[in-house]
Amino acid sequence: MSIQLSCKYVYILIIFSTLAVSGPSVYAQATDTTAIDSTEHKVKKKDLAGHQLCIGFDVLRPVLNDVTHGGIGYGFEADYYMHNEFYLAAEGGWGNSNVNYDNLKYSTNNNFLSFGFNKSILTRNGPKDWDMMFIGMRLGAANVARSPASYIVIDSVWGNSAGSSQGQAFLAVWAELTGGMRVELIKGLMAGWNFRGRFLLNAKSFENLAPLYIAGYGRGDKGVAFDFNVYVSYGIRWKRRSLGLADAKAIAPVAK
Amino acid sequence: MINSPKQFCFILIILCCIGWVACTQVRNPCETPMTATLNISTQHLISPTDSAFVDTALPSAVFIPLTTAANKTATIYPQQVSFTISLSPDSNICRWAFTPDTPGYAFDTLTFYYQKNLQFISNACGFTYFYNIDSVHFTKNLFIDSIHILNASVTNNVNTTQLQICIHPDNF
Repeated sequence: MSIQLSCKYVYILIIFSTLAVSGPSVYAQATDTTAIDSTEHKVKKKDLAGHQLCIGFDVLRPVLNDVTHGGIGYGFEADYYMHNEFYLAAEGGWGNSNVNYDNLKYSTNNNFLSFGFNKSILTRNGPKDWDMMFIGMRLGAANVARSPASYIVIDSVWGNSAGSSQGQAFLAVWAELTGGMRVELIKGLMAGWNFRGRFLLNAKSFENLAPLYIAGYGRGDKGVAFDFNVYVSYGIRWKRRSLGLADAKAIAPVAK
Repeated sequence: MINSPKQFCFILIILCCIGWVACTQVRNPCETPMTATLNISTQHLISPTDSAFVDTALPSAVFIPLTTAANKTATIYPQQVSFTISLSPDSNICRWAFTPDTPGYAFDTLTFYYQKNLQFISNACGFTYFYNIDSVHFTKNLFIDSIHILNASVTNNVNTTQLQICIHPDNF
């Protein structure tokens, strides 16, 4: 991927993140200004939702491992609710691939990790409503190890010639835009899907022999990869301390 | 908690996307040329005293790879100006026999000296060799007047002409 293309993707990411992060605050500023003008009192909206740590497993990936023949991967995700419908998110996993073509043979394996955030764009029905449609961003990395590759250069005139290329270890880094949906099936147990667009930031590292499949990213020989995940996850919830104190004050009898 | 419009939306999108992901091809077909081609154009001087070249369509040019191990089949071209041959990936030297017309059956020999570089094209196509021509030697007692290297780099780009063969003006 050329530098220009990389810059374009980084530019898109910056614009996207600016909109995602500053949008609500700009709106909040405008609302606050009006409020100051009218009452000169700034009332901070209280986040009534508690804490939630959600841990999930990609249940679609094992199915695709059997159906497709490119590579095998497994993935986990975890997210933690911060405030104002922002979630810190992390994903991790591992995988491998085996290329066994007539003229090219090698194998790869890798682990991956990505960090970022999700922003729910659904209005909450109440503090206990954890259903969400969201958009998010990630920055991901994978350490890829490729075995020595054996190849045959096919030449109909002079005859085929065989050779091998040394094994290699390298780091793949990508930026990711994601969007999806998650609904609560029964109390605490949730299911959801993510659609992802990934942009490889160091594609030049793969010019010698781009790995066919990088778990967590997708096709290593493409600068842009799209993916889809289905997660089943469980949410662990607890109340906010500030809410608990407020509630306690509210119900405490007034001392005379 | 879950309600019916969300549930409907959730299931519908999941089914669509599972179908899309499952149908994604893993190995794409190889759509780029796998062999580096040495593209040749033929020209001749208008007259022995003139320095201007004009394109020459050879009536029935023949190229034969001179090798012991490989396929020694001759390639006979119809009347045309440009021709395509390849260099041997097993060596840094290779030879081709050449004649501009079949009825003559007299051949000149082209000897290519070059450096080869292993090149990864893609997972679908695998590896190939690209070359850099150092020099071209030839016998000039029959048809060839001179040879000019226009571009020393031999890749799988079919639109680049690397070599220009100038034919004796007496013969055309």
